[in-house]
Amino acid sequence: MELQQVRFRYPGQATGLAELTGTFPLGKVTTIIGPNGAGKSTLLKLLSRQLQADQGSITLGHKALTSYSAKQLAQQVAVVSQRHELYDDMTVAAVVKMGRLPYHGLFATVSDEEIAAYLEQTQLTDLADEHLQNLSGGQQQRVWLAMALAQEPRVLLLDEPTTYLDVHYQQVLMTQLRRLARQGLTVIQVLHDINQAFAVSDWLWLLRAGKLVATGTPAQLRQAKLLAQAFATPIEIVEVPRLGPYIVQVPATD
Amino acid sequence: MMRHVGWWFSGVIVLLVATIVLAVMVGTTWIGPHRLLQILSQPASRDFVTVFNLRLPRIISSLICGGSLAVAGALFQAVFRNPIADPSILGISSAADFFKLGGVLLVPWLPGRQWLLALLGGVVALFILTRGRALRDPYRLIIIGVALDATFVGLSRLVSSGQTAQVLPSTFNATTWTDTWTLLILGLLGLLGALLLAPWANHLKLADTALQTIGVPVKLIRWSLLLLGTYLDVSVTAIVGAIPFVGIVVPNLARRLVGHDYQTLLPFSMLAGAWLMLAADTLGRTVIVPSEISAATMMAVIGGPFVIILLQRGRGFHGITTG
Repeated sequence: MELQQVRFRYPGQATGLAELTGTFPLGKVTTIIGPNGAGKSTLLKLLSRQLQADQGSITLGHKALTSYSAKQLAQQVAVVSQRHELYDDMTVAAVVKMGRLPYHGLFATVSDEEIAAYLEQTQLTDLADEHLQNLSGGQQQRVWLAMALAQEPRVLLLDEPTTYLDVHYQQVLMTQLRRLARQGLTVIQVLHDINQAFAVSDWLWLLRAGKLVATGTPAQLRQAKLLAQAFATPIEIVEVPRLGPYIVQVPATD
Repeated sequence: MMRHVGWWFSGVIVLLVATIVLAVMVGTTWIGPHRLLQILSQPASRDFVTVFNLRLPRIISSLICGGSLAVAGALFQAVFRNPIADPSILGISSAADFFKLGGVLLVPWLPGRQWLLALLGGVVALFILTRGRALRDPYRLIIIGVALDATFVGLSRLVSSGQTAQVLPSTFNATTWTDTWTLLILGLLGLLGALLLAPWANHLKLADTALQTIGVPVKLIRWSLLLLGTYLDVSVTAIVGAIPFVGIVVPNLARRLVGHDYQTLLPFSMLAGAWLMLAADTLGRTVIVPSEISAATMMAVIGGPFVIILLQRGRGFHGITTG
């Protein structure tokens, strides 16, 4: 997935993205990091075509994102949002079946067999008939991930997927994303936890005020000065036994 | 759950058959089962005329109207994502009534004007209702709908004052076989369409942004279901008149009995709505014999308190936001 001089402004607002050019390597986990208001979620929305760039181009497999039909795009790109709204009661299986709609006609019914693999992949097989409102936050997040995987996408976009998860489920999710990337899926996510981002990613995008400050491997971007400038706060990188380098924010001195 | 659903379907079918049999027999004249069998061979008898020309068209019409109104309500609730959305309280029915009245006054020569004008009225009301932010704000939707309803009721009164044409009370009294056939054709077409589009109503349980990311044509689905709901509602209004609350009472009770899946909910609402309408009409024409209470009045008396209880208790599913 590649961006060429992508520019976007929200109507009537100064915030947006300015002249973004860069690549998301295929089959890798890329994490977009940056302070609040840097444009991370906006970038994800542009990548999923929920927003249209004012200028520039986004390509997927050398084909402009705008040239895909809605159904074709849904077969290529899946999204797991930070928050999901459900307006009426649904079972786990019913939600996951929605992920298969890009492969069916408008009047088709998705069979239970068709989603069995995605339920198993996300450890939801036993909860298939459970109602979503009865599940924990972590279980619900797995349901939305299963729906996205059911789309059989080439690119999986996740907006702060760990926000509502406890430490254990954060770990489980990140392990799962890395496994999916090894199987060829391109994972692009937004994370607020900078150490988690450095630990789980193959590639990083560092944004600030709508601009791409730096892009590279975690080893390339693990620079206290670069991060301090991007986050506008004093940062140090310390060595933690059995954990390795750890990024910490240090209190500002007068 | 499936077994449980099966029982409720069986229950409503038994209830429906029993009420149909009872409705054939009761009225100003009691015609018992023995006499019913007798009159089959006496087509010139008074009881035969009562059953076949008065009661049967009325029974069939009320069944179709009840099923249509219940399904129209369920479809509106799916699209507006609001458990009390219903064409009767959102001004669709009263707009249809007003345009129907306009047709009588302005184009009395136009064939099929009742249905055509009622449909036009319903679509105009729908267009007004879906402008602005009403689709995204459930409270705003209801307030605009109630205002729209009051406006069209007022306009009907204004236009009909001093005229011979009036908005007549909605009743199945004096329903003819012509009315019944019209309702049957219009209603069955709409109900078949609703069964076909039931999965679309399920799709709208997800937010528009989520639906877009899975390639679902949200606008096409939303407008198809809205127009189908409007069609079902105005078809009843064109022939019988506006009947309130069936579309709120039935789908909300149905959700508690058979769950929230529209592929189950719509057929169940169809049957339960048909039963409720027939039961209300049969009760209305037998409690104060030889006079009668109109179906609309009966439904207002039953449905009004139901909506109040539904809103005051605040039970049922009104959506969740998950991480």
